[in-house]
Amino acid sequence: MSATPPRSRSRVDAAVFGALALGYTVLLEKTAKAVGYARDEGFYFQAAESYEKWFRLLLTDRHRALTPEVTDGYWSVNHEHPALIKSLFALSNLAFSPKHHAVGALYFEQEGTSFRFPAMVLAGLLIGAVYLFATRRFGRAAGLVSALGLGFMPAFFHHAHLACFDAPIVAMFAFTAFAYVKTLETKGIGWPLLTGLLFGLALDTKHNAWFLPIAGAAHFVATLASAAWLRAPVLASIKRSFAALLSMALLGPLVLYALWPWIWHDTTARLQEYVQFHLNHEYYNMEFLGENYWKPPMPRGYAWFMTLATVPTVTLLLGLSGLGRRIYAAGRALVSRDASALPTLREDLFLGLCLSASYAAWLSTGTPIFGGTKHWMQAYPFLAVFGGAAFVGATSALGEIVARRWPSITSRPNVVALASSALVLVAPIAETWGAHPWGLAAYVPLVGGNPGAATLGLNRSFWGYATASVAGYLNRNAKKGARIYLHDTAWQSWQMLLEDGTLRPDLVAVASADQADYVLYHHELHMLGQDYQAWVALGTVAPVAIEGPDGVPVIWVYARSPGAQKSRSESD
Amino acid sequence: MSRMRLAWALLPFVGVLELGGQVWASRRAPRMEEYAVLADPIRDLEREGDVVVVAPRWAEPLVRRALGDDLMPLADVARSDVTHYRRAIEISILGERSTEVSAFVEREVRDVGRFRVRVLENPKPEHVFYDFADHVRPPEAKVFGTDPPVECGFSTKTEVLAGGLGGHPTFPAARFLCPGGEFFNVGPTVIADEKFLPRRCIWSHPFQRGQIVTRFGGVPLGDRIVGHTGMYWIIERNLAGAPIDLEVAVDGDVVGHVTHRDGDGWSRFEMPLGAHAHATAAEVEFRVSSPNYADRHFCFQADSR
Repeated sequence: MSATPPRSRSRVDAAVFGALALGYTVLLEKTAKAVGYARDEGFYFQAAESYEKWFRLLLTDRHRALTPEVTDGYWSVNHEHPALIKSLFALSNLAFSPKHHAVGALYFEQEGTSFRFPAMVLAGLLIGAVYLFATRRFGRAAGLVSALGLGFMPAFFHHAHLACFDAPIVAMFAFTAFAYVKTLETKGIGWPLLTGLLFGLALDTKHNAWFLPIAGAAHFVATLASAAWLRAPVLASIKRSFAALLSMALLGPLVLYALWPWIWHDTTARLQEYVQFHLNHEYYNMEFLGENYWKPPMPRGYAWFMTLATVPTVTLLLGLSGLGRRIYAAGRALVSRDASALPTLREDLFLGLCLSASYAAWLSTGTPIFGGTKHWMQAYPFLAVFGGAAFVGATSALGEIVARRWPSITSRPNVVALASSALVLVAPIAETWGAHPWGLAAYVPLVGGNPGAATLGLNRSFWGYATASVAGYLNRNAKKGARIYLHDTAWQSWQMLLEDGTLRPDLVAVASADQADYVLYHHELHMLGQDYQAWVALGTVAPVAIEGPDGVPVIWVYARSPGAQKSRSESD
Repeated sequence: MSRMRLAWALLPFVGVLELGGQVWASRRAPRMEEYAVLADPIRDLEREGDVVVVAPRWAEPLVRRALGDDLMPLADVARSDVTHYRRAIEISILGERSTEVSAFVEREVRDVGRFRVRVLENPKPEHVFYDFADHVRPPEAKVFGTDPPVECGFSTKTEVLAGGLGGHPTFPAARFLCPGGEFFNVGPTVIADEKFLPRRCIWSHPFQRGQIVTRFGGVPLGDRIVGHTGMYWIIERNLAGAPIDLEVAVDGDVVGHVTHRDGDGWSRFEMPLGAHAHATAAEVEFRVSSPNYADRHFCFQADSR
């Protein structure tokens, strides 16, 4: 398509990669302040602070730091999740904390952002990587559409701000998958080794990584069968898959072990405990279509409906159309036994398997649904890449029409691609921007937007992250030393809001509504009992402040009515 | 050009449609500050015996903020049902209607800002002679246990206790305190029922043995006692507790008995009063007991009609 020499092309792509990665990271950092600290972030701050102390000790007294009792003492905190991302939070805070270094204040306004930063960087790198990956197959315009299509999914954009594992595992999962695909099309041991290394990092990020070997094994078998059917050389077709899988099998556990000090001792028992924790995870509550689900059977349509309701429709349509286009192409190749199609077929197959494996757990009514869309979010980069395939089809067809009607325009071939890119990206950007900082309550126009979703009875919030949204009200109105009941906001998250200066330092958190001057209520259907506790405790049903997107309440605040009595322990 | 090619060519324009949809969706509900416009018109419309209902229900906190406790008192917001209200003032957005008052007859409709306000009349309002939750205090009420016999003292300055995250409903400052711990008390509170709707009721956790009795004196009666039994759903849904018996006696005669089992949810009961009907000053007892008192966060609502 282009007369540009390959080296020059790769320089341009590297520049675009850098611009996307940097641009997205900066965008996340600049918009982070509005996103209050989620419940789990509080726990990860606490874990990261513990790990940070161990890193400091390692620098000053290596022998002591490496003794089992000392290692366990620091790394037992939040050991139900592996260590990589929390370690990065710790190291980032160590390097960039505005509280501890003057230099940190040059980078970040808020202490919490210094913890969140690694997740933002990984999200930025993912956006760049999706661009590179999609570009090599479908061209630059499609690469941009794929990358930005992912970046402007409101749910992904929201999670990419947080000091949690959800955006990082999306990135690590995709990096591993992309390296696997690169292994298929290259020679040598570089890419297989990188695949194994990345898989280890993914394992040390979150347990969603367990789906990767499943996709890989299925891919190996399917490639073998396809090669046999297409009368292609079978061994040659599968040896690169084998190399990648072998590397994942050997390097993955080693990397996990090396970077997770908690499993350095009593390894088998602790790994068993970790696996059992996630295989038998407690069922938390989640609202879906007006019902509160808290134990199996979970609704089988949950993942599909929520994807439809939260992923911008044009992005989803592009992804599904692209997937359909690739399935059609694969079908034609298989029917015609066209062995030359095997390389693209096996790549598409792997991407499709990564996407499917990410959703497969929700075919079971026993799989918890409490995490909303974040638990299958690692499917979204693959959806975005398939979107690139559809974009190529769309611009080609549109270009044909334009060429017939307005031949002068098609003399500048980028015009159609640019216009099409704008058409497919403007709505996702508007939705993501409109949803910020309410990414967990962001629903697409197809379900009536946020008001429509609230009427349907879809979850508006979890993790008690919205406290920052009412900080302005509390700072302006609460008397000095006022006591605030936090509801679902974790204590550590509240502390970070105080450290950041988001909240006035004299405000005091209390454990129940009866002790409070102000009660925060983060809406979730099953949490309404907390709302009613406030009514009786404070003597009012009328909130004094309400915040949420597009007129839909997500968090509200009650103030103690003048006649209401505080609990004795606090009022004395 | 084939239809398939045309479909591919039109695909990017879905984005334009979606952008239009986004503009529509983000503006379709009133802004939060727009609710302030409701206060004066609703105050003008509201009469004694009215209840304000909101459709869809998610907008209710915004209406409560706009109207305040005077127009939306806790007893109305945490109502058991709407059968005794003479009229409902329905505040509606997005074309939604309240199913709770679907049997009421529309008498007036007006638009206030972006809100549709309907005055709906109950075709058969039930007259309530006495709502027991309004009288859980001396001298009208007295609380005691039967085995062993214990008296439960009343105070208006008891420590308010809210259960916090996942905990029990709030115990108000004005309540009867019985021996045995903080759960053994009697007073009005609000629980979340099986649909997480608010229900104002009289907390009455059974004792280990015998009955916990709430006795009301000088009660004007209609021809029946109507009420509901329930528990905070987060406790009840575990289906792990023993049944709870509620026995109702008027002037010493048992007029009815209901058993609340886990999973029943907010359950209505009606007890005809027979010869006691229309007494002007009766003594009514609510006697609560359970074969196993563990986690029996029992709460009942009752009135005489």
